Amino acid sequence: MTGGAGRASYVLRRLLQVVPVVLAILVMNFLLLRLAPGDAAQVLAGEAASATPEYMAQLRQRFGLDRPLAVQLLLYIKSMLVLDLGFSFRHNMPVLELILGRLGPTLLLMVTTLVASVATGIVLGLLAAARAGSWRDTLISILALVSYATPLFWLGLMLIVVFSLKLDLLPTSGMETVAAFHEGWARVVDIARHLVLPTLTLSPFYMALYVRLMRAAMLEQAGMDYVTTARAKGLSETRITLAHVLRNAVLPVVTMAGVQVGSLLGGSIVVESVFAWPGLGLLAFQSLFARDFNLLLGIFFLSACLVVAVNLVVDVVYTLLDPRIDV
Amino acid sequence: MKLARSLAPWLAVVAVVGLVLPADEASAQKRGGTLVMLVQPEPPTLASYISTSGPIGQVTSKIFEGLLEYDFSLKPVSGLAESWKVSPDGKTITFTLQKGVKFHDGKPFTSADVKFSILEVLKKMHPRGPATFREVTEIDTPDAHTVIFRLAGPAPYLLMALSGYESPMLPKHLYEGTDIKASKYGNAPVGTGPFKFVEWQRGQFIRLDRNPDYWKPGRPYLDRIVARFVADSATRTAAIEKGEAHVGGFAAIPWPDVKTLAKLPTIETTTKGYEMSSPIVQLDFNTRKAPFDNQKVRQAVSYAVSRKAVIENVWFGWGKPATGPINSNFAPVGFYTSQVHNYNVPNGVETANKLLDDAGFKRGAGGIRFEIVHDLTPYGEEWQRYGEYVQQVLAELGIKATLRYEDVATWLKRLYTDYDFQLSSNWIQGLADPVIGVHRLYHSKQIRPGTVFVNETGWSSPRTDQLMDQATVELDPKKRAAVYQEFQKLVVDAAPLVWVHELQFVTVYNKQFKDLIVSPLGLYASFDRAYQDR
Repeated sequence: MTGGAGRASYVLRRLLQVVPVVLAILVMNFLLLRLAPGDAAQVLAGEAASATPEYMAQLRQRFGLDRPLAVQLLLYIKSMLVLDLGFSFRHNMPVLELILGRLGPTLLLMVTTLVASVATGIVLGLLAAARAGSWRDTLISILALVSYATPLFWLGLMLIVVFSLKLDLLPTSGMETVAAFHEGWARVVDIARHLVLPTLTLSPFYMALYVRLMRAAMLEQAGMDYVTTARAKGLSETRITLAHVLRNAVLPVVTMAGVQVGSLLGGSIVVESVFAWPGLGLLAFQSLFARDFNLLLGIFFLSACLVVAVNLVVDVVYTLLDPRIDV
Repeated sequence: MKLARSLAPWLAVVAVVGLVLPADEASAQKRGGTLVMLVQPEPPTLASYISTSGPIGQVTSKIFEGLLEYDFSLKPVSGLAESWKVSPDGKTITFTLQKGVKFHDGKPFTSADVKFSILEVLKKMHPRGPATFREVTEIDTPDAHTVIFRLAGPAPYLLMALSGYESPMLPKHLYEGTDIKASKYGNAPVGTGPFKFVEWQRGQFIRLDRNPDYWKPGRPYLDRIVARFVADSATRTAAIEKGEAHVGGFAAIPWPDVKTLAKLPTIETTTKGYEMSSPIVQLDFNTRKAPFDNQKVRQAVSYAVSRKAVIENVWFGWGKPATGPINSNFAPVGFYTSQVHNYNVPNGVETANKLLDDAGFKRGAGGIRFEIVHDLTPYGEEWQRYGEYVQQVLAELGIKATLRYEDVATWLKRLYTDYDFQLSSNWIQGLADPVIGVHRLYHSKQIRPGTVFVNETGWSSPRTDQLMDQATVELDPKKRAAVYQEFQKLVVDAAPLVWVHELQFVTVYNKQFKDLIVSPLGLYASFDRAYQDR
């Protein structure tokens, strides 16, 4: 019943549903942001540490801040309808260009973290469930609890102190060695080295969730009838676990991972800040304080799109993992 | 990496209106090396002709140059202008430009660029430009290397505002006929300076490479300067400690970390190079409303604050007690005086309590005279500590203060647009001349809602207005100094602010690098003399 065509029309239907949702998000974001006191011109003048009234008026006029709010909103929606994210006057650059510049590093950190945390989460959850109640289970549970409770900035700084300052193994911060400007493979290796500590900092928190989820799901599935059947067929325990139980138990983990892609974007502000990683979270954070609303709205828009897209992918992955689930 | 090689000894002696630049020590400097400098926070653009924001200036001062540079006694020395002459009435200033100066795109720098930069850009779009160049009505360019400023009235402060940081010289051919504020060169500047803009990876770094065609022979010595952006202060400290970054100034390295870093054998610290920013840490009163409309109440608060306690406990010893509106950095030019009403006395709290009693503020229940809200400067942790200290001191006076910490935009609007505050901490830069940096806080014409860092206390007096107007046009430095002495006495007596201390920033740098801080512009200088000694 579920063929490629069915899947395609499902995806299309879901995409159409997304449009009003995203539009509503845009209008709400726009109005919410205007509630913040002060404007971009004031912040810029504040940073300049001095300004004449002429200067302030010029800035406001250029930023369009002298127009009524309703007009500003209409203009914004109009440009968004043709997917024009607008211009960041603060950075004197198109918003899209600014965001695209940060997208690569953000995705790199996000994907590495997601892969690392899901993979270790699944493996540890599996190990814990296989001998539920044993010392190994207890150890893994404690590890998960500690990982979940450790503040990210503290962990990040401690890793810098140990691996960078004391052991001198890894760089403290940044995405590449700026004094050297490596090229080709040397650059890839350089970036990979810079990626280690941020990933190590960000992963444990998410991993902890997956460990708990995985362990619970494995234990739940282990008592199912199909496991008894498989055992009766004479399959080895390893084969039952890997081929049957695992496949079913991994579903909640995939769901959770999908939901967390959104929070991973935001949750990395701390890590981006500590490791000077050029990601979107920090950019959003800074633009809020700078009242750079065009840029901030652009990032919100992109994040909303990303979350929607990932959830769609997750739903499709479901049907691949479990053919009984119908689109 | 290129091998460091020493340059043949050379001498540069430039005669400048009777001044001679000190000749560099021969053959000490080595060519090559990359300097990584921490810039915090990341600048929004590199259009230093539109914003004087510190981080922008730290980068662009390597790319753009000004007509003049300055020495540590705050005297102008030659820059892009090889010499200059002010007419006796102060209404004509003639500059002779250096020969053979080229922009980074190869086009020559001429008098037309100067005229364009000042009249079309700085006078119109710079945050302080309209004030600095108010008197400049016309600029004549009789030939490619002569520039004549025609002024409506004398403007002695003008010569202090011509550095590459304050008034950058731009290439006319790249900006003319375009929307200057939206120019793409705002993010990829082209100047005449020792370093050329190469690339800007947002969120990471800006790369500047050596300008091989720089007009000063043999300079610069460094191959490259990279400005790095690290949002977290602890990480910045770690990067300096590890040698991944080589220099950080202003408040890039938190004060407590400076002490730790200074103990490392690889690190040097200095408080020099901030003489042209001259910041003062203050407490600003809203003099429009009770209780701070009362001079005695303001004086009481000023008496109660222990300058020593603030400097030692909040700023870890970096600072010098302030006496009034003009920074003691202006002592060499005679503008500063310490002969004013002295609030920095040992029995300050006692004196303060007596003043409040005299003013009729009796202690009520719980010993409280009245309650206020104290707004804090939203620039980081030390400002919160400062606020907590002030809160304690006020409690000793029977004033119950509630602290309020908001974000920058909210705080600026509260202070400078809505005037919805009672007492706020603040810090203001005295800049290169009192006309530019100091008058704005005290002149009645500087009470301008919506404009930041001007007179928000609401205090002014006809006499001080008059004195400031005199100082603005007085050409004789001695007479000007006398005017400022009287001005300081009157303002300090009226106490529209508490001048707590002259903030001392610390530049932390790796000892491998020499001659980084060579002028009062400090990190805002061009680094053309900086070199790496490996």
